[in-house]
Order: sequence, then C-alpha cells, then structure tokens
Amino acid sequence: MKAFKALLRSELKVLLRDRTTLLLTFLLPLVFILIFGFVMGGEGGRDSSLGLVLTSNSDAQVLREVLAHQPSLHTVDFPDEDALLLALRDRRVDFGALWDGSTLTFVYDPGRVQDQPALTQVAQGITADFDLRRQGLDHVVYAQRFHVGREAAARWLNMTVPAIIAFSILSAGMFAVAGHITAMKERKILDRLTVSPMHPVSFLLAVVCVRMVVVYISTLITLFTSLAVFNVDLVVDWPRYTLFVAVATLGMMGLGALITLLVRRPSSAANLAEILAMGMMFLSGIFFPVEIMPGFLQTLSRALPLTYMAEALRYTTGVVDMPPHRFLAITATLASLAVVLLPALGRYVVRPQRR
Amino acid sequence: MSALCYLGFTGLLTALRERVTLFWTLLFPVLLFVLLSSIFGQVGEQGALRLNVAFVNLDRGADTGFAMAVETLFESLSVEGEDGRPPVFTLHRPVSDADPRRFLEDEQRALAYGRRAAVVVVPEGFSQEIGGALRRPGELAGKLHVHYSQGVPSSELAAGVIDQMLAELDRALLAQAGRFDEDLAVRTAIQWAGSEGHNVGYIDFLLPGVVLMAFFTTGLFGVPGAILYARDQRILRRYWVTPLSIPRYLAGFGLTILGMCVLQLTVLWPLGRFALGARVSFAAAWPAAYLALAAVTFLSFGFLVASLAKTANAGQAIANIINMPMLFLSGVFFPVADLPSVLQAMVYANPLTYLVDGLRTSLGVGAGQFAPWLTLAVPLGWISVSAVVTSRRLHWDVGR
Repeated sequence: MKAFKALLRSELKVLLRDRTTLLLTFLLPLVFILIFGFVMGGEGGRDSSLGLVLTSNSDAQVLREVLAHQPSLHTVDFPDEDALLLALRDRRVDFGALWDGSTLTFVYDPGRVQDQPALTQVAQGITADFDLRRQGLDHVVYAQRFHVGREAAARWLNMTVPAIIAFSILSAGMFAVAGHITAMKERKILDRLTVSPMHPVSFLLAVVCVRMVVVYISTLITLFTSLAVFNVDLVVDWPRYTLFVAVATLGMMGLGALITLLVRRPSSAANLAEILAMGMMFLSGIFFPVEIMPGFLQTLSRALPLTYMAEALRYTTGVVDMPPHRFLAITATLASLAVVLLPALGRYVVRPQRR
Repeated sequence: MSALCYLGFTGLLTALRERVTLFWTLLFPVLLFVLLSSIFGQVGEQGALRLNVAFVNLDRGADTGFAMAVETLFESLSVEGEDGRPPVFTLHRPVSDADPRRFLEDEQRALAYGRRAAVVVVPEGFSQEIGGALRRPGELAGKLHVHYSQGVPSSELAAGVIDQMLAELDRALLAQAGRFDEDLAVRTAIQWAGSEGHNVGYIDFLLPGVVLMAFFTTGLFGVPGAILYARDQRILRRYWVTPLSIPRYLAGFGLTILGMCVLQLTVLWPLGRFALGARVSFAAAWPAAYLALAAVTFLSFGFLVASLAKTANAGQAIANIINMPMLFLSGVFFPVADLPSVLQAMVYANPLTYLVDGLRTSLGVGAGQFAPWLTLAVPLGWISVSAVVTSRRLHWDVGR
C-alpha cells in the first residue's frame, strides 16, 4: 500500500510537470467549446435575415405581409441591388429577394453554401405563400409542427458540449497508455522499474487512478465553462455521469493498450492513437450529425466507440432520451474493453522491448 | 543554386519517407476533403438522404378522400420514381390490424430516441376540413400533424420536405377547384452574389479552403517539428560544421516546404476537379499568387512558432493549441460571423482569414469580404513580423 501511494504521488508529479499533456487535457476541450460555441451558434438559434429590394409596387404590399408572417425571419429593406449585394458580402443579411413585379429572385451568398438547404426551404415557403396571397387565397392544407423529445436537443451547443467531453475522455484515456506508458517504455524507464520491487499492477493502477481523477476534473471544467459562458441547458445526472466518465476513461485506456500492443515501436502507438482520435472526431457525430452523413459513413460511425460515448454523455447530461438498457449496454461494453485489455498491458510493462 | 535544390529535394524525400508526415500532410487533407464533401456536398439534395418517417392515418370518417390522397403522396415518395428519382422516405406504417394510437405512441418514442426523422399523423376530420376550406373560402384549413425533433438535422429536413409537399398539394387542390390560376403563379429565379452568374457548389467553396488548410498544417507542424527536432537531436550542429550557412540552410528548407505545398495542390486539385466535381481553376495569375503567398506566410508562421518554443515537444504543443482556433476562426470550412469582439479580433488578426477570402474571390467563389489590398497586406505583415521575431529569438543550436 505504501509503495502504491508512492507510485500515485510520483505519477501525479510526472503529470503536473508535463505541460504538453496538461495543455492538451485541460485547454484543448475548452478551446473547442469556446470556438465552436461562438462560431456555430453559442448564442442559440437566431432568425434568418432577408434583404429585400422592391423595384415595382405591384403586389409589393402582399409580399411584405407574406414576409412578416414567416416564422423566424426578419426583413431588411435595401434601396437597390448593389446595396443588397454589399450587405450580403458583409454578412449583414443571410440572403436576399428582388421583386420586379413579375419575378421573385432570391439572391444567395455562395460562401454560405452549407446554409443553402435551410435558406432554400425558407425561400420555398415564401414563394408558396406569396403565390396564394397574390390571388387572394388561403391555404386549404398545411403542416402543423409538434416538437417531440427533450427541448435541450434543439440547441446545437447542448448536443456538442457532451460530445466534446466524450472526445476529451477518448483522447486522454488513449494517450495515457499510447502516449505516456509507451514513452516510458521507449526511454527504458519501465525496464528500470521492472528490476525494482514494484509490481506492474501497482504501477498501472497508479496511472489509472491519477488519469481518471485528472480526466474527471477536466470534464467538470469543460462542463462548468460551458454552463457559465454559453448557458447551455444541461441537467446532469451526477451518479450516472460520474460512473460513465470513470468507465469510459478506463475503456479508452483499454483501447490505448490495444493500439500499444498492435504496433511494433512504442513511439508509433502515439501516432496511431492521434490518427484514430482525429478520424473518430470527424466521424462520430461530434460536429456533424451522423444522420446527415452518407450511408457508408453512417455504418462506419456506428462501429466507433466515440459515437456511443457521445450518445451516452448526452443522455447523462439530459440532452437526449435513451432507453436505460442501451446506456447500460454502452457502459458495460466500455468496462469490458478495460477488463479485457488492461491486464494485457501489465504484461507489456514487464516485457522486454522488441528490437 | 544546385546545392539549394538538392537540399530542398532531400528534405522533401525525407519528409515523404516518414509515414506520419505523409499522413498529416497528404492523406489527412484528402480524407477530410472527401469526408466534408460527402457530408455537406449533398445536404438538401433529393436522394442524398433517405428519411425514416412514420405515417398514421387516423381519419376514418365517411369522407376520407383527401386523407387517402396525402397517404398516396407519401407512398409515392417512399419508392423510386418512374423518372429514376430516388425515394425520399422510408415509410413506417401500422400493420392492418394494429391499433393506430398504440403505433403512434411507439413511433413518437422512436422519434424521441432518434430512430425516426418525423411522425406524420392525419388527424380525424382532416378530409372534412379540407373539403370545407375548398368549398367555403375562409374556413379552417386541414392540418397535417408533423411530429419532429427541433434542431435534429434529419428531422428538420423531413419537416421541410413535408412542408414543400403540402405546398404543392395545396396549389394542386386549389387549381383543381378552379380557384388558383397557374398562369398567374409567381416566377422565381436564383442569383449567386459575386459569382458571375454561375451556381457555386460546396465543393468549390471547400476546395480552396482545404488546400490552404493543407499548406497551413505543413507550415505550422512541419517547420517547428523539423527544425526543433533537428536542433534537439543535435543534427543541426552537424550541419554547422560544414560550409553550409544558416541562410542557405533556410532557403533549402523553404524549398522543401514549398515542394510539399506543390505536392498537396497536385493531389487535391485533380481530386476535387475530376472526382468530386469542383469547377474552380487555380491555373490563373491571381489564384497562383495567393497560393504562393499562403505557402510563404505559413512557412514564416511555422518559424515564428519554432522561435517561441524551447523544445520540439513544446513546439508541437503550441502548434496543436493554435491549429484549431486558427482554422475555425478563418472561414476555411464554415463562414464566421456574429462573433463576440475578442473572437472577432482573432478572426481579423488571422492571416488565414485574408488568404481564404482573397483566394476564393480570385477563383470566383463569392464576393470577397475584404478589400483585395488587405488580403495581401495582412499576410505580408505576418511574414515581416515572423521574420523579425525569428531572426531575434530562434536559436540554431542547443545551448547556444
């Protein structure tokens, strides 16, 4: 026990001295949250803005009434097309409409092509309403929308914060083994430790304990920063959250162990882990929802642990609903990863380095 | 001169022999380009997504003609059209003897769990309401209940498609009743600002961004990685005992980075043009000038980072921390607007912002946000600042 405490202390000291790991563990998730929070809607969904140029008075009043009745749209008047194009260039309006009495021309900024589907839908709604109102008609059929699910899921940032936390767990867990332990192996520190009375299990346990605490603190910092800066609507189920962060960290250390055992040179493990982490970041629905990906990417996404980690963390933070048995299945799978793979790491610690 | 070229060529070969360098400088931009274009390049296009939609018809009265018409409409969109149009929906309906209300509850739960994009309900009295609205203008219209998850992209998309379907049905019903005159329908057109009239796809927007991202990561990670590692491992010290001077080494190293940039462009441009359908062409004076300026700017920026770090590891850590903010606060992948003043200042100080803007404008992808002189002046300013800081701070040998 005394030896274990000494190992804990030394492991903590090593971590606190390693500024690179500290930066990546604590600062990187915050950078992600701050950047994505502001760039991609931290202030919450806002109305679309339409720049309007009327060069004819014919039905102009009808068009104004139609625009006034569009949900989540506000209209800004411009004297001519040049002024509208200038406003589009400066991003003061999202898109524009020119009405010359016979043709309604929608003007889009090509630099906002990813907003195009949403803006096109708004434009189609305007056209449909204008068509009827011009002929003095009302709708005879329309869709009445009802929101189903948690309100929190409607905000992009609420979905993204738990996913970024999931990524930080994945990254910290994998690199604890594929970066830290392999670096010790490469520098032959482990070889020296194995000739001491230290038991490899005590050493691994010390690494696991320190990393789990550090990862948990890092997730709390990310969580509270998001709550303070962006006022995200997260209702954390603390027992489930704590359990999941602990198990996920262990599971990701297991994955790190698998990578370490698969590569020939210890230093290659960190490179492979970095590549895998980056691939998973883009494919696991953290920044782009899985459901808008092409079929083959959706299949690939379903094979990645980060997809399920993000899903489970969204559930534990009250963003989405999930059947409880699914949450248990995800947690159990991650726990099995750790149970199966971490013991193999004990053998790796004492195994002489392959030449 | 030949010695310089040889030095540059050797550096390039060494970089390409390292699998990690090869991945981050060539394979990663390619993968990211393909990934982003396959995700965002087709969003909103029919057939790009097949949406899981549940449909329940609760209108079981005497006159259910309109409810049946809506049902037929949804069915027609769940199979391939005669013109080869791909199906839009995968339709889930209750089996004939199932309780429709029980089915509705189950499907709403599936929607909440994200397994359905929308649940469409034809309520009781739907057909009667439409009939009434058609016969007596001003009467309440028929309301189709669309349950969806606000903010979930597939759900939003499904709700939008349903809106559009109903708008067309609305017009068709009114036209059939002789109340809507198709000849008086509004003519619509689309205009793309600053794009000389041609439609610009996401691939055209993305390609210059990915090319600049590749150049940027080469400079940001390649320069501190190579220089600081060579210094830490005392490899540079061995160079300095040869007749090679620091300026000549620098010039050779610069050629290596520029060669890598050329290689990246050679891979990404044809990929975008021939495999992904990009229409932009870099083979013109201004785009080429912006690419050259970008390569030099990021090369000097890499030296700036190298001069701020004490070791190769610290250099990589700095590069990792500033990589994402610089990429995402520049509009490489997504436009940036409506930011708080601190982040806005970072956007305006970021050389990548101006290079992306200038390059896209020169390629005809939209009207530039900044004046052309500014898109040249800011990167040139960064080159000057980096050169001054590097000349004062970068140590070319350990403990020197």
